[in-house]
Amino acid sequence: MADQVLDAKGLNCPLPILRAKKALKEVPVGGTLQVIATDPGAVKDFEAFCRTTGNDLVESKADGKVFEFLIKRTA
Amino acid sequence: MESKPLYILLCSGEHEKLQMAAMIASVAAVSDRAVEVFVSMNAVVAFAKDAPAAERYHGGTFSKLLTEKRAPDPMVLFRQGRELGSLKLWACSMALDVLAWEMDRLEDDMFDGALGLTKFLSDAETGQFITL
Repeated sequence: MADQVLDAKGLNCPLPILRAKKALKEVPVGGTLQVIATDPGAVKDFEAFCRTTGNDLVESKADGKVFEFLIKRTA
Repeated sequence: MESKPLYILLCSGEHEKLQMAAMIASVAAVSDRAVEVFVSMNAVVAFAKDAPAAERYHGGTFSKLLTEKRAPDPMVLFRQGRELGSLKLWACSMALDVLAWEMDRLEDDMFDGALGLTKFLSDAETGQFITL
């Protein structure tokens, strides 16, 4: 169970990433954020976002055109 | 690994280029990359305070699509980048002079001030440079 859930379904790039950054600020260090998105570029975008910000992408999965990510805040 | 700062020279007033600049700047800023945008020429006019979207954005086929599909407004993206990361916008002092505009003609809380091109180019020496 994530500490926070962000429903970014229907949002165009780059809004899912911007919303995730904002939501992560509300997550305690060590906590997790679940993001649900439908942007086709989201899988690669969230991989890159986590790599550049140093947060952990704990899980990335797809169910048809819906993508779910679990991000652990590291700092 | 810390990324090089990103410097964007934004001269165009075209909707499509403003959109791209705002997307690049906001994404880089929330990805913990320092970004500075130097706004000059027609791009300055697009930042006129309280301008309606129909007056602010001019472009081609893709501009119409961006509006129809309700893509995020470039001004909103710039503001979110500033709120969530290290994103500075500078208004070109020459362009303001040519327009006879003061900073108060531009969107509130959008710019860090007016700047000359020499200073911006000097600051940008160590970063990645993009022109739109």
